[in-house]
Amino acid sequence: MSALLYGIMASFTQPENIATSPAFMLWMFPLLAAIAVIYKTTKLRALLTKVFLRETLVLFGVLSGFMILAIVVLNLLVWLITR
Amino acid sequence: MRFQNKADYWLWLVAVALAGWVIPGGGHFLIRQPKRGMIIFITITLTFGLGLYLGSIGIIDSVGGWAWYIAQMMATPAVWILDHLARHGAYQSYGRPCDLGQIYTAVAGLLNLLAVFSAVYMAYAGRGEFIGREE
Repeated sequence: MSALLYGIMASFTQPENIATSPAFMLWMFPLLAAIAVIYKTTKLRALLTKVFLRETLVLFGVLSGFMILAIVVLNLLVWLITR
Repeated sequence: MRFQNKADYWLWLVAVALAGWVIPGGGHFLIRQPKRGMIIFITITLTFGLGLYLGSIGIIDSVGGWAWYIAQMMATPAVWILDHLARHGAYQSYGRPCDLGQIYTAVAGLLNLLAVFSAVYMAYAGRGEFIGREE
């Protein structure tokens, strides 16, 4: 048990190995999900499970869509400038 | 909730804010919104924990990364202890993992600040009330 605990704690003392690749961008999704959940938790008058899940999913979709659009536009700009 | 005088009322609001800062979602538990409190606690703890896991506790740096540190401190005062641990140990974090870790932990802190404001406003305006309009 204590070996497991030390193992878990030790994983917080060394950074993870994250490569510079387009897949790096996928790390934005958990953060966007957290933002959507907290925002909707503080905004909805009644916290009904079904409504909460639907509203959170919609906000997550909107945020993700906007971020993907921003990535596409910025990449397009870089491509136009550097070609 | 009824109060004897205005000082009690202000003390109550401060207690709600402090509870929300010390334990994410604690303010909502105090004002009897346990469902909100639980969601906030789980989400902020996971976001902050993921940030620490990605970048290690080396991302908490009150000297070199003081601007990030202010945002991280909003998540919980326990960040102060982590900062001491990180400064007295040899925990280094650079590059992408450091960036990601700082972003995750700082956003977790700022989201907790939003949750604290929400809890204090609910305590101030009455149960079921919130800042702004419903969406």
